[in-house]
Amino acid sequence: MFYLSRLEHTFRVPPSLLSLPCEEVVKGELEKLFLDKVIAKLGLCVSVYDIRSIKGGFIFPSDGAPTYTVVFRLIMFRPFEGEIIAAKLKESNSTGLRLSLGFFDDIYIPVELFPIPSSFKPDPNKKDKGTWEWEFGGDPFIVDGIDEILFRVRSISYPSIPLEQPEQAKPFAPMRITGSIADDGLGPVSWWVDANPIEEP
Amino acid sequence: MKILAANAGTLTNFEVLDFLRSKGAAKDSTRVLANVVPSEYKVYDYLVKTAACNQTKENIKEFSERCKKFDLAKAEVLNIINMRPSSAVGVYPIVEQCADRFEDVEELVELVTTMLPPPPTQPESEGGNTQPESEGEKTQPESEGEKTQADSEGGKPKEGTDE
Repeated sequence: MFYLSRLEHTFRVPPSLLSLPCEEVVKGELEKLFLDKVIAKLGLCVSVYDIRSIKGGFIFPSDGAPTYTVVFRLIMFRPFEGEIIAAKLKESNSTGLRLSLGFFDDIYIPVELFPIPSSFKPDPNKKDKGTWEWEFGGDPFIVDGIDEILFRVRSISYPSIPLEQPEQAKPFAPMRITGSIADDGLGPVSWWVDANPIEEP
Repeated sequence: MKILAANAGTLTNFEVLDFLRSKGAAKDSTRVLANVVPSEYKVYDYLVKTAACNQTKENIKEFSERCKKFDLAKAEVLNIINMRPSSAVGVYPIVEQCADRFEDVEELVELVTTMLPPPPTQPESEGGNTQPESEGEKTQPESEGEKTQADSEGGKPKEGTDE
């Protein structure tokens, strides 16, 4: 789920910060730049793990501040394909489920990755919201959002930044995880609490 | 920005949690004292509710050592440590082609349950389910869970009066 990534970045340190220790300033600037941001193909940056080297400190002509080249490692959130993760339900509508990890909300379970047969029960009070039900052995299993939902990571996509967005569009998500709950042991935790293995002939 | 190594090592949930703790993230209610950014606190909040909360370095080292005999892929071991499945049905989705590769999954489940400490959520959520009911009938709680109790108590009497 979490990886370390080594990066190099060259940036300017404003002169107002030069009275502080160099490492502290560099770390602060890196945190400002990368924390809680998605880097395409690398994932969501959680934290600056360490700083490997700080080089440079040149002051370019007609610039009043030093420029450093820093090599550092970041903790990235980037699940691998096939990983099982527990998440909370955020939204449930006719197109599927949207799950949240608290720090990451763009996890989608599309209808085609539900256990079969699943059906959608629209909520009459709320527009296009509702609950999903999986029918197994004659009993309905409801995705109610009370307990955590286990899902398998199907794919991670990094959509490119749109040039123009329609007005009522959802906020742009730079990283989207598509998950599946169509397997034994996946879905809300409560589905499987009393599950007994069935001996196959 | 230049990416030197996209993957310079994988981390378990525990290692990330340990790192955040070393930065000073804790159950500090004000969340101002430590040098931890709000987004890091969100990750911390997620991780303390997972099995990583009670794990230690020794636990994980010994577990991965003992896991070798099961011939699991690295990613599978990592996923097992993060999820800590406590039953066969929990192991099943994590391990690829589990039924073919394992004669007896219970052995692995037993190793997981004995080597890795249980997550804090289970007793808490069970307690959370039972508490409000009993407290609704009883009178006053202790100081710890006052907030949640206030919520649940605030909700319950209303329902009662409506009915």
